[in-house]
Amino acid sequence: MKSSRNPVADVMVLLALLLALLLPTRSYRHWVEFGPQQQVITQNPKMGVHTRLTDEVEPWKIQRTLEMVRQMGAPWIVEYFLWAAHEPQRGVYDWGHADLVIDHAVNQGLTVIARLGYVPEWARPPRTNHLYLDATGYDDFARFAAAFAEHFQGRVKQIIIWNEPNLSQEWGFRPVDPAGYAELLCRVYPAVKAANPDVQILAGALAPTLAPPGSEWGLNDLDYLQQMYDAGAGPCFDILAAHAYGWTFSPDDPPSADAVNFRRVELLRDIMARNGDAAKQVMITEGGWNDHPRWTKAVRPAERVQYTLRAYEKALRDWPWVDSLAIWAFRYPRPTGTYQDYYTLVGGDFQPKRIYLETQAYAQGLRSQEAQP
Amino acid sequence: MTRRRWAIVALLLLVALLAGLLVRRTLLGSGDRTWARIRQTGVWRVGMDPSFPPFENLDGVTGLPAGFDVDLARVIAARWGVRAEFVGVGFDQLMDAVVANRVDSAISALTVAPHRTEEMRFSEPYLEAGMVLAVPESSRLRPALEAVGGRSGEPAMAEVAQPLAGQRVVAEWGSEGDALARRLQAQVNGDLRLVLRNSTDDALRAVLAGEADVAIVDAISLALFAGDGGSLVAVGQPLRSDPYAIVVPKHAPELLRQVNEALAALRDDGTLAAPTGAVATCCILTFSRCFPACSPASSMTAS
Repeated sequence: MKSSRNPVADVMVLLALLLALLLPTRSYRHWVEFGPQQQVITQNPKMGVHTRLTDEVEPWKIQRTLEMVRQMGAPWIVEYFLWAAHEPQRGVYDWGHADLVIDHAVNQGLTVIARLGYVPEWARPPRTNHLYLDATGYDDFARFAAAFAEHFQGRVKQIIIWNEPNLSQEWGFRPVDPAGYAELLCRVYPAVKAANPDVQILAGALAPTLAPPGSEWGLNDLDYLQQMYDAGAGPCFDILAAHAYGWTFSPDDPPSADAVNFRRVELLRDIMARNGDAAKQVMITEGGWNDHPRWTKAVRPAERVQYTLRAYEKALRDWPWVDSLAIWAFRYPRPTGTYQDYYTLVGGDFQPKRIYLETQAYAQGLRSQEAQP
Repeated sequence: MTRRRWAIVALLLLVALLAGLLVRRTLLGSGDRTWARIRQTGVWRVGMDPSFPPFENLDGVTGLPAGFDVDLARVIAARWGVRAEFVGVGFDQLMDAVVANRVDSAISALTVAPHRTEEMRFSEPYLEAGMVLAVPESSRLRPALEAVGGRSGEPAMAEVAQPLAGQRVVAEWGSEGDALARRLQAQVNGDLRLVLRNSTDDALRAVLAGEADVAIVDAISLALFAGDGGSLVAVGQPLRSDPYAIVVPKHAPELLRQVNEALAALRDDGTLAAPTGAVATCCILTFSRCFPACSPASSMTAS
């Protein structure tokens, strides 16, 4: 190869080539254009979905997911942000992927409720589960939550602290500990408010379960919530996050302490009221129905559509204390090959399921929630 | 000490080391503590979510776990001379329960999850439960559909769609079969008539009644339908593959080897049909309790 007469020029060309190769790998943003600011058009402003973008790598898929949520008519999304991914070393933050998700969501006109959890290795004892966080790590988590709230100031206004802490698995395979969770909340709350007073702290996100006291797998959500209050959690959250799964029951089935159904959330609401928190709102951050052909807690696809639309309508008309209802789950990055796939509204290839199309028609006022498919 | 004596001592040490390793491998299974404990206690702790018939559910009379996965665990345990003990675990928690060593294995209609192989190990698949095309045994479409997709792997939708052009394809409204049918329809520019029914069984009945040429359903629904006397067969490769496998801890290589050996033996003796390839009707499983119309290829010795 013939060299140029100017070695400086050669070096500059080489550097430019290297930069051209390296830059796209340093930023997610080179791959998709944001486009003009969008807004959600819907007849039901409480509609939401839980997205699953945590492990979605490709930016165009993140954008396409959020675009389809907007086109369906849901103004709210709940998304999971992993502490371990965003603070890989103590005090070292990497917001790249979270920025991408949240900026695309905001661009689509969506409001993001951010769920925080997943403990980095440096914040927990060796050989413990990624959901294990004991009291020695609470301040680290509070600092992370505050950093998150500060970084996303103006873009995220609701943060869920942990997920389903009433299940042993979600509590690092330890016995569940409502007082411990209350303490975590009360460490996080002032730290986040100091960093960003506009942020609202969501607590609970309890799994609807009938597990009795003493079960090795968890504790039922009603007892757990009361024990949270007993431990002083009340002043340490602004909104209760609730999970409302219907299983085989219609959304109008009456609530009962010994049944898991959609209206069980009303029992949580009663506990809030009994503990002086009637003025606080509830956000349903997971919920809905499954339509697998054989799972014993599933319904038929047509019933799922009917129940889901009725649930959205119920949140809008009957539950003024509910701000939003997020259906689990919009789309999985990859199929699980199990009945879990039958919770989604959109296939992995972005093909909309019937439930997506019917929900979209409902949001546009083209379909009544009572109509049969 | 002379050089020769040193050599003899070194040789003896080497032999002792090798003998020790051999004994350890024999007794403990390559340092596999899970397998060693199963052997020592005579109990194999199997996690499952008993809410998924016909694979695992609670028997209405006895309240005990019953179903295909329960039978499978018992048959494997019996081969090892141990007892399968079932632990009810919520589905969401099953894989993590294995990782956390709360159970020795999970058998609960779990599919191989390649993205989780860093944390756990999956056995060879024991059953294919994916979405299939079902036609009458005498269907003229069989040769063309069986030729699609070669011997293994999910076939391309465009390839499957060609023989279906101009045909009537039935599925349950809103189901996975409905979604796949709409994708196939798009591949042939709409030249495929989509017939929708209110349930999977109604969709299969529509084929038997001549109201549709092909149904798209999951392999297990088809097997159950066939078990009830419906004479439809699956053709070609699954449109979407869902291979069920047994999950074991990452650091349990001997347990994994034993599980795979047991599955291979069950396949060889006909207790368990091959999990890949074209899915037959009821005889993808030969456990008569799950599929009453099947004839067990071998007698079970479940404990």
